[in-house]
Amino acid sequence: MLPMDHVIALSAILFTIGVLGVATRRNLIVILMSIELMLNAVNLAFVGFNRIWSQVDGVAAIDGQIFVLMVIAVAAAEVAVGLGILLAMFRNRDSVNVEEVNLLKW
Amino acid sequence: MIPAPDLNLSVLLPIILVAIGSMTILMGEVLLSRADTVLGREVTESFIGTVLAGTAIFFFALTLWASGVAFAGGGVQVFNPDNPMYQLDPFSSFVTAVLALSALLSCALSITYLSELRINHGEYYALIMLSASGMMLMVAAVDLIAVFLGLELMSIPIYVLAGFDRRKLRSNESALKYFLIGSFASAILLYGMALLYGVSGGTSFEALRAGFDADNPMALVGLGLVVVGFAFKISMVPFHQWTPDVYEGAPSAVTAYMSVTVKVAAFATLIRLLAMAFGPLEASLETIFWVLSALTIVVGNIMAIIQENVKRMLAYSSIAHAGYLMIGLVTGTIEGYSAMIFYLIAYTFMNLGAFGVVVALANRGNDCERIASFAGLARTRPGLAAVMALFMLSLAGIPGTAGFMGKFKIFMAAVNSGDIWLLIIGVLMSVVSVYYYLRIPVLMYMREPEDESHRTEIASGEGAVLVVCALAVLALGLFPNRVPTLLFGDLDVLDWANRSVGMFFGG
Repeated sequence: MLPMDHVIALSAILFTIGVLGVATRRNLIVILMSIELMLNAVNLAFVGFNRIWSQVDGVAAIDGQIFVLMVIAVAAAEVAVGLGILLAMFRNRDSVNVEEVNLLKW
Repeated sequence: MIPAPDLNLSVLLPIILVAIGSMTILMGEVLLSRADTVLGREVTESFIGTVLAGTAIFFFALTLWASGVAFAGGGVQVFNPDNPMYQLDPFSSFVTAVLALSALLSCALSITYLSELRINHGEYYALIMLSASGMMLMVAAVDLIAVFLGLELMSIPIYVLAGFDRRKLRSNESALKYFLIGSFASAILLYGMALLYGVSGGTSFEALRAGFDADNPMALVGLGLVVVGFAFKISMVPFHQWTPDVYEGAPSAVTAYMSVTVKVAAFATLIRLLAMAFGPLEASLETIFWVLSALTIVVGNIMAIIQENVKRMLAYSSIAHAGYLMIGLVTGTIEGYSAMIFYLIAYTFMNLGAFGVVVALANRGNDCERIASFAGLARTRPGLAAVMALFMLSLAGIPGTAGFMGKFKIFMAAVNSGDIWLLIIGVLMSVVSVYYYLRIPVLMYMREPEDESHRTEIASGEGAVLVVCALAVLALGLFPNRVPTLLFGDLDVLDWANRSVGMFFGG
């Protein structure tokens, strides 16, 4: 069986990739995907930790798994709203480049 | 067979009322827009808007009543005793009442404004109610799952509201920035929650408190990420850059709503999280809060000086106020927390009032945003100029107003817990803030009118909100512990604030 440390490390790596994606990419769709990647890294961490704790206690601890279901549901709602905002923006300016979003500053 | 849990539905009453209200509004709009006449009145767009806003106000008033009754009853009630996630106690019922009141005032403020901007859609009120129900869930949550759900239920409708004027590029941009920053912040918050779960093996505050180990780096990183996630929501420096952009681009009525309620809900949740899950602050975290609080006060006030747009100026001022509020978090005493709650109430009325004046001046799709356009307002709109001057004095913290009393309480708490330097920074920066706040009264009273594009008459809803806010600012500033009212006798707001946080200290 896979050691749990590896699962947690993978989730940390995925999360970092997501953060870097949000910070460096200029295409809004890619930024949205990076945020999804961060959320999925969180899900992986929850499942991994849940696995560890259920082995420690010997009882069915399922808090982490329930949290994952909540995160998945909320992420779906968030993406729906995010794409809606993106679409409204695209209709007004024909671009999804984040650098052109610059009317408001200082 | 699984035994049915012993659920106590009446505990959820405040949230259920708001949720039912939002569904009623969504259905009501569909039914109303298909009818030609209702009770002999022709159905026009503004009629629909007024009816739906009235529904929202009605349900918020019910929520206010329900949470007020729960607060008066005292005691702690949980929804599911086997696995408490949501808890109606003096703290959550009091904050819920404050949230319901400010949401009610925002709805009354929006009716005419939405017609002026030609974005009079019923979803507006439904979204306000949904986000309010999220805030109420968040402040009453005693489990990370419920905190997260409440936070998202609060944020997602507000992303939409910020972009509600969808034909305007600035509104689009505001929504987009808020959405990107907000969802990035919630992902960070979630990772922190995952680490805390990994350390303690449970998501309830009780389990966190039992399992939190300050020597474990994972616990500290988790706590740090959770604090950063909330720092974005309360626009703590250095996580504040989105605030001015979002506040400026969003429709003014939405800015009024979100600048007030989001701050109240996020600060209340932070108080509960720190008091219930992490005990008195760890020394290291206290230092971090100390530095961030000082930074937030300084940056907010300095940046507000150079603004030419009144909404941006108020955005930076709200950052500065977040800094003052954080002093209460640094102290970690019952006095500091109760001062925070009192300050949040004062801030609610004065900030809602200041944005309310901006809303009341908006004309035919144009927000009255330039500070220069306030010149000579005392001559053209004497009433509005008078209340605007009052709100500016209160935000600056001039004695006799609610803002002064709030700052006084916060600074007293800082003195009593020995944070003298934080007090000195706070007082010095309050002096700086007088400069930019008083610019507006000076322009209004000592310059000739130049910009004639304001609206020339005030709607009844806006007028009522401004009068309520102005009276509350004066009453809380003059008699904080016996606000005289005609209907309910004298109200002791300071005592309520004390009682609401007293539960964290065994009171």
